[in-house]
Amino acid sequence: MELQGIMHGAGLVFIFLGIFTIIVAGLGLFRLPDLYLRASAVGTSAGLGVASIVLGALLMDFSWLNLLKALLAIIAQLLTSAVGSMAIARSGYLNNSRPAEITHTDDLIKTRRDSADSR
Amino acid sequence: MSSPASLASWPWRMVSFLLWYAKAFVLANVYVTLDVLRPKRRMRMSPAIIAVPAASASDTEWTLISCLITLTPGTLTLSISREHQILYVHGMFVDSREALVGEIQEMEDRMLRALRRSPGDLTRPTRLPDVVPGEETPGGEGR
Repeated sequence: MELQGIMHGAGLVFIFLGIFTIIVAGLGLFRLPDLYLRASAVGTSAGLGVASIVLGALLMDFSWLNLLKALLAIIAQLLTSAVGSMAIARSGYLNNSRPAEITHTDDLIKTRRDSADSR
Repeated sequence: MSSPASLASWPWRMVSFLLWYAKAFVLANVYVTLDVLRPKRRMRMSPAIIAVPAASASDTEWTLISCLITLTPGTLTLSISREHQILYVHGMFVDSREALVGEIQEMEDRMLRALRRSPGDLTRPTRLPDVVPGEETPGGEGR
């Protein structure tokens, strides 16, 4: 009974941590200047945010089957979010979305066909 | 090829990489979250896109290292060039080229040691090759 109470409380803490991370990532969408920085900021919600909500739900309703489901869910979520943000960022770069002014080095510009005339 | 000693240390290398990555992942999350919450004038961002020489060889290693880089908040793989062994990484807090290159290469070293039965060849091209767009193939280099 005692253990259940502790796990319930810990689960709540993890869920609220996840909610906080997702809210901050949403704020980042408005506050950051360009596509690539925004993609990085959203990475925190897709990674830590969702993972810690799933972990919190697992702690509140623990069983070995749920542990397996939670592990699968976290791994699938991490993989798909990584591939998704790479695809978005790369297609953004190919579609002429320039990095913000504060970006101090850009090595990828050398590989562009139009790098000479479009600057 | 692989000695019994390196085989015995394989599980240990895997576990230590997972723990190290979990720590780096959480720390990066905290950095990015704090910087988003900071007032605009005091934001510490200095983003850059850097070409990082890489030691990966197989498809699995290239895929995994670019996924792991993207998964860490604050760094993002934009493109790779297997021909020139380069990862193009967008970083959020880049003080100097060497700092980001060191960070990425440490992660890659640890990943390769965890992934391979014996670590093998971890050398990278020391000088960055001059990558120019290909002739007529659409998309050209760095796809």
